Amino acid sequence: MLENEEIEEPTIKPVKEIFLTFFKSYSAVTGLIILIGIAVMGFIGPLFYPTDPFDMVWMPFSPPGTDGFLLGTDYLGRDILSQIINGARVSIAIGFSAALVSCFIGVGIGSFAGFYGGWVEETLMRLTEFFQVLPTLLFAMVIVALFGSSVLSITLAIGAVSWASVARITRSEFLRIKELDFVLASRASGSNNLALIFRVILPNAAAPIIVQSALLVGAAITFEAGLAFLGLSDPNVISWGQVIGSNRIYILDATYTVTIPGIAIFITVLAISLVGDGLNDALNPKLRSR
Amino acid sequence: MKKHFLKTLLLTATLIFTSLGVSFAEPKKGGTLIAAVGNNPRHLNPAVQSGIVTGFPGAQLFATPIRYDNNWEPQPYLAESWDISDGGKTVKLNLVKDAVFHDGVPIKSSDVKFSLETIKKHHPFKTMFAPVVSVETPDEHTAVLKLSSPHPALMLAMSSQLMAIIPEHVYGDGQDPKTHPQNSENVVGSGPFKLVEFKSGEHIILERFDDFFIDGRPYLDKMVLKIIRDPATRTIGLENGEIDFYAFENVPTNINRLKKNANLNVTPDGYAAIGPIDWLAFNTKSGKTADVNVRRAIAYAIDRNFILKAIMLGVADEARTGIHPGSPYYEPDVEAYDIDIDKANKILDDAGYKKGSDGMRFGLNVDFGWPGLRPNAEYTKAALKKIGIDVTVRQSADFPTWAQTVSNHNFDLTWDTVFNWGDPVIGVHRTYQTSNIKKGVIWSNTQQYSNPKVDAIMEKAGVENDMDKRKALYSELQKMLANDLPVYWTNTLPYHTIYSNKVGNPPMGIWATSSPMDMTYIKD
Repeated sequence: MLENEEIEEPTIKPVKEIFLTFFKSYSAVTGLIILIGIAVMGFIGPLFYPTDPFDMVWMPFSPPGTDGFLLGTDYLGRDILSQIINGARVSIAIGFSAALVSCFIGVGIGSFAGFYGGWVEETLMRLTEFFQVLPTLLFAMVIVALFGSSVLSITLAIGAVSWASVARITRSEFLRIKELDFVLASRASGSNNLALIFRVILPNAAAPIIVQSALLVGAAITFEAGLAFLGLSDPNVISWGQVIGSNRIYILDATYTVTIPGIAIFITVLAISLVGDGLNDALNPKLRSR
Repeated sequence: MKKHFLKTLLLTATLIFTSLGVSFAEPKKGGTLIAAVGNNPRHLNPAVQSGIVTGFPGAQLFATPIRYDNNWEPQPYLAESWDISDGGKTVKLNLVKDAVFHDGVPIKSSDVKFSLETIKKHHPFKTMFAPVVSVETPDEHTAVLKLSSPHPALMLAMSSQLMAIIPEHVYGDGQDPKTHPQNSENVVGSGPFKLVEFKSGEHIILERFDDFFIDGRPYLDKMVLKIIRDPATRTIGLENGEIDFYAFENVPTNINRLKKNANLNVTPDGYAAIGPIDWLAFNTKSGKTADVNVRRAIAYAIDRNFILKAIMLGVADEARTGIHPGSPYYEPDVEAYDIDIDKANKILDDAGYKKGSDGMRFGLNVDFGWPGLRPNAEYTKAALKKIGIDVTVRQSADFPTWAQTVSNHNFDLTWDTVFNWGDPVIGVHRTYQTSNIKKGVIWSNTQQYSNPKVDAIMEKAGVENDMDKRKALYSELQKMLANDLPVYWTNTLPYHTIYSNKVGNPPMGIWATSSPMDMTYIKD
């Protein structure tokens, strides 16, 4: 039975089936809808709510609801609603690009380690372990401190510290799949190593990597907020983390300036986790049959 | 008649206060003061280390020749009297006779000589004792300072944390005084309190020195200085009663919040000589800000009133010049650059900076020296957009990075907080002197501003012993600086002292906690 499954699994399931499973899950769909809503808000919202998030529009520290400012104003009298709308774009962009960076590094390292084995694997996996035991926040802080607090350096820093899990998952998938018959068949029919890695094995290892990457998006958004809380954010770009970070010292007296972006992050990360779970169910036949 | 009237008034007042339950408690011996310090001091020896963080424990551990009262009047301290002769070029200090260091060794004039020489060599404030050529010690209790020129700043430089008297038999052992092990442990001081323990990052514990040279003082048995960096933690500690005392609070929301607490007193008094001023400094040598028109336009576009009301929430004062408004030399009658966007735009138009299609003329960077100034930097971005200057806020990774950027002159604009340190010679001249353009040195003339007339006035004012003449010189200086605008001064940093109702006589002089707290006590 077990052997049967293992042989069947590599065949790529019809895309339709994956979609069906995904959309059957109530929570996954909810997450997706929220995520789309937030993305729409971030990218199209500024057209409908054109207040510049950097303009000082009203009295500082006006609580939510004051004089038509739905979410109030911050310490410089800037509109928090506008900051949330415009911040969505940047937070999501940082989340996805950082996850993409970790995915890129993780898959690269994991696939080579898994495929070649031997000293390549030894070296690459020791490197992965090194990154895994590093205190990620501290390491990211060092990177941002060295290269300055720009969106690019923050994204790269988050990507650079969170790829280890992707690398390990990729490697273990490669270790399993590279021994399977269809890979041997491919090799016998003359495929070179690179083609084997990227055309034959990787597509079949994609499922867990996609799920892991989806979760990394949420983690990256919270990571950005964490860095911003410690003051490491780009003051020229509005992101939710930046809103939290710059309002931090007023937390005792103007709690809403910190909680509102906090709630935005919470909802987004929750939505991403729901989508991630949904993807996991849809892509993983073992779980689905249960 | 008048006497009788006063007596009646006094009696009535006493009756009223007694009936209200207010008592003028006599200072009482005993008790422990739990205070907070906002940062970790590098070490505790103020003779070789500047800064208010070392100043707080430093002024308790080490005595200075003189101290100041609340009205800028010098008072005897380790020197029971002094004579100034030879047109201000000879200053004789008569030391207290029975003063001893914490290890019991008598404090002699040779220690004063040693301390001054050490400070002159190792303290970052080079102007403090620059004219002092030699110190003569005719006997154990007399030190005579010989100066090359009159130096009115000398009196303030001999007070507070600026001229700690350190024991020659300890710090004169040949080791580098800046890294001497006894700067942090087994400190042998001359002040009212001795060191029990300094645990870096955690606390400094001080204990009454029983053989202190002023009889009956200090009143406190013990001072515990807790090192608490996070403002919110300190605020909550004060509210809970875990901390009795905190000086140098400057977060406006915290100040306003603590003012509402009936158990606490919040006061801006006591910082006149520290003289902290927030300002926007310009790079006057390179980039667009080298043009005085650009600097003036920026000053007109930045609303000092907005900073005072919105960012500082009403707890700070206006500062129109580089001399603190609490100083006797402050000249408020200068060009103030009150907000005028139209004028700012016109200045830039006339100077030939045309707006592009996006409404912007050119871009500038703004840096800021410490996190408290980040709102000012963000405000600058919003404010200068109105006159077509596209500002990028640059966040430095940490203080040393910022200091390196600015001191190497790689900036356009930077927000900064700079202290007067009592006399203009100590804390003001350094910002504008041509001779103090020193690459790599922070809080030197990093603006690279140079005006021979300004240099000449400062040189004259530095040696002028006549108070009125000196005031006139500094008045002229401030007007010239406001015209050239190497720096746009906005406000005083709103330093406040917060102390609980049980603390009597908190330090309210001109030097805040950089002065001995031998008169502070704990009420019943």
